Amino acid sequence: MSIWTRIKDFGPWSRAQKERDLEREIQNHLDLEAEESGPYGAQRAFGNAMLVKEEVRAAWGWPRLEQLARDVRYGLRQVRRNPAFSAIAIATLALGIGVNTAMFSAVDAVLIRPLPYVDADRLVMIWDEMSHIGFPKHNSTPAEWREWRRHNTVFTDIAATETGNVTLSGDGEPEQLPGRKVTANLWTVLGAQPLLGRVFTEEEDTQGVQVAVISYGLWQRRFGASPDVLGRTINLNDSPYEVIGVMPREFYFMPARDIDIWMPTSFSAERLKHFSWHDEHIVARLKPGVTLQQARESMAALSLRVTAHVKPPRAAVVTPLRDELAGKTQTSLIVLLCASAAILLISCVNLANLLLSRGAARRREVAVRAALGAGRGRLITQFLVESLVLAGLGAIAGLALAIPVMRFLETLVPETMAAVRLTLDWRVLAFSAAIAVAAGLTFGLAPALGGSRLALQEGLRDGGRGSSGARSHWFQHSLIVTETALAVVLLTSGVLLLQTFHHLQRLDLGIRGEKLLTFVTPLFRYRDFHQRVAFVNAELERIRAIPGVIRAGAISKIPLTGIAGTTRYVFAGQPANDTRTQDALSRVVTRDYFSTVGARLREGRFFDISDQLSQSPVAIVNESLADRNFPGRSPLGARLQFGHLGAEGYWYTIVGVVKEIRDRGVAEELKPAVYRVHDQADQSGDQPSGIVVRTAVEPASIVAAVRQAIWSVDENMPVTHIQTVDDIVARQLSAPLQNTTLLSAFALLALLLASLGLYGVLSYAVTQRTNEIGVRMALGATSNDILLAFGRRGLALTLAGLAIGVLLALVAARLMTTLFYGFRPDYSPAVTVVSLVLLAVAALACLVPARRASRIDPMIALQHE
Amino acid sequence: MTRQKNDILQGTLVLLVLKTLADGRRMHGYAITAHIQRVSADLLRVEEGSLYPALHRMAQDGWLRAEWGMTEKNRQARFYTITKAGKRQLALEEESWARLCSGVQRVLRYV
Repeated sequence: MSIWTRIKDFGPWSRAQKERDLEREIQNHLDLEAEESGPYGAQRAFGNAMLVKEEVRAAWGWPRLEQLARDVRYGLRQVRRNPAFSAIAIATLALGIGVNTAMFSAVDAVLIRPLPYVDADRLVMIWDEMSHIGFPKHNSTPAEWREWRRHNTVFTDIAATETGNVTLSGDGEPEQLPGRKVTANLWTVLGAQPLLGRVFTEEEDTQGVQVAVISYGLWQRRFGASPDVLGRTINLNDSPYEVIGVMPREFYFMPARDIDIWMPTSFSAERLKHFSWHDEHIVARLKPGVTLQQARESMAALSLRVTAHVKPPRAAVVTPLRDELAGKTQTSLIVLLCASAAILLISCVNLANLLLSRGAARRREVAVRAALGAGRGRLITQFLVESLVLAGLGAIAGLALAIPVMRFLETLVPETMAAVRLTLDWRVLAFSAAIAVAAGLTFGLAPALGGSRLALQEGLRDGGRGSSGARSHWFQHSLIVTETALAVVLLTSGVLLLQTFHHLQRLDLGIRGEKLLTFVTPLFRYRDFHQRVAFVNAELERIRAIPGVIRAGAISKIPLTGIAGTTRYVFAGQPANDTRTQDALSRVVTRDYFSTVGARLREGRFFDISDQLSQSPVAIVNESLADRNFPGRSPLGARLQFGHLGAEGYWYTIVGVVKEIRDRGVAEELKPAVYRVHDQADQSGDQPSGIVVRTAVEPASIVAAVRQAIWSVDENMPVTHIQTVDDIVARQLSAPLQNTTLLSAFALLALLLASLGLYGVLSYAVTQRTNEIGVRMALGATSNDILLAFGRRGLALTLAGLAIGVLLALVAARLMTTLFYGFRPDYSPAVTVVSLVLLAVAALACLVPARRASRIDPMIALQHE
Repeated sequence: MTRQKNDILQGTLVLLVLKTLADGRRMHGYAITAHIQRVSADLLRVEEGSLYPALHRMAQDGWLRAEWGMTEKNRQARFYTITKAGKRQLALEEESWARLCSGVQRVLRYV
């Protein structure tokens, strides 16, 4: 018979019709037979009409589905009949499933969903291995890019990109735009196409033709989405560029989602020759059939070969693009996903326990069904369907819960990737349904097997009480140990993250963050050193005149935001090839910078008015550099020279050691740093475009005045990246804060669920063993003995869970290392705190049922059925 | 309750029903029982408990067609007729029955 007929036959309409037909048919038969042998004879000959009908129904086909529908209805009735139990079960499941659904949607968006490039999993990034100066994955150089591109055998092509922030001027306000300079082959490597126009060619790139491809966002915002934009000339850093293409809305590429302009790199011959401009992000596409491992080995060797003349030669590091885009978020998502999975597992364990306990209570009902002919398979199916009904309801409630969690998780998506709006799309719904089924089977299986077994053993025996046997105790106990252990893992991890966050928050930034306003005034138009000095001095002068401003200074990279920006140097008398000790962050500052940010001196002095271009050049170093190059000695008076200028280069004398300033970011590793005063830095490319202003008033209140002050000096000067140091700190701490908050919330949830589980099992045991308690008391046990007996059991389970959990937490902590931001949280207080909290909660969970047990009246207990 | 062993061998009921309807007759369940009992000279008796499930299964498999109609005595009844597929099935069943019989015969004759 065709499936179609089956489906047609299966519908409830045809089903009812069939039922009526069958009823009539049997009745007719009886009538016919009665004509011959009388009504009783007919009945006897026919036998059990009910049974006949049952068998005919079995012949109708798809009885399983029918059965299933009936089991589901029965399950729903069970839910209504035990509202308290059902509410607890559904709420527990809703938490577990909701949290997991939300986590999955975030993991899906960041780690699973295809990136907007062709065959994105074949894309990798290539870095310089420069661990000797503290950068195991350093930006590469144009020279290496060219050599790799020429000689490699593992990539179809290699593209380079570097920062190219520009000021767009011309019609409208001058605007600082995030831009990238990219080699012409970037688009083919990524497999990206422009929405309008074209991208630039290799010739345009090498010949330095000034063309630009703009983002969809910029096209919409600045050019009113007009197709006429193609061919238009725009001013970027005061040079004319022709707009030749517009990228589609969904296009983005490292290092940020909001790049607005792409221009040719047009590397100079000099940059392509020396292996020393570490500005490039390199992206490459693996050749078909080449594995990541092969590419790694091949590139490491190739890179050592092409940099053989550099001291020391560098290996190349190849990483999947996805890892780079997801960054630290990858670890936090995985950790949080594990945590939420643990919560779901705990929920399941709790429910399994609850159902096991309830299964015993339903023994009579099950026995009746078994006596009426339900086979063990039928009973198991029905129990499982009941569990699945609960899981389904839990999943529905969980979806409602997932949505607010998803709103929170959206903010975890890293800057390097497209912003997402997490939604309950079909992937997420499918996942949610899958875990609901898995959960239903997980927590339903043991009770189903147990329940069906009990039914057959103890059957209808009157007063069917007894214990469910050592086996089921053992099982329930191991469930408790499991969930306790999981809760301990989560709690410990949570405490470790809390410690880390606390540490990050209290971290000495080296500057005073409050009421410190920062912004950037790009200095590209002040190429002449003297003009630049004059402009910076003039703008600072005007800013200082604003009421509410205490001090103002300038620096080449706003503190806490310049992860890179290093320079080479050599100390007088030091051989020039010891790169391990000849690389430091380089910053050019104005004289009053240190006093403005509130930096502190370890020894020597800050810059002062005597440090002019005409005077002998001086430098200030940080403690890391002093400790590295002058361990146990004072660096004051030591002289050093920067870059590759040879005899031309100034010799700077160290006049001060400043206490560590977190120039690279709150949670970033400290690096040796050298500060020079702007007036004496005419040989440095670093320009003090970052302005810091210490205010007496609320920093936000003077922003308008600051703009006016700067525009009064240069009306075309954009003022960008306006933020306070407090903002910067808050933003950098937001990821650790979110991780900590989520994991702590998960951990508390786990603790709550685990203690509920313990409470449930013990109180069930008390109910179940009321008789036994009565006997014991009648034989002379005091209520204290009983209290101890039950208390001991709970305590033993808790301790076992604690021990296993602590061991597992050690493993978990290793997985989380990157979330500690270089901090080494102390393990023992975490374990102590968690143990104490857990024992306290467990004691409470045990005490209530244990006390109940100890207060049982033996007379009543003995009669207890 | 004792009863003579005249239950129909498992699997042969389909054959008997198909054969009963083979010449295109239109019969209800009771008539099919009565026919088999009469033709076999009371040697075979069809259990209603087996007949109706078998009829429904055969109708579902497309070997029989079922429809409501009136008996000679103007009673309502559900009548079954054989279909083309049913006739093909009958041929198959007869063949396998013959094989079964000859097999059993050989075993019985073997000394």
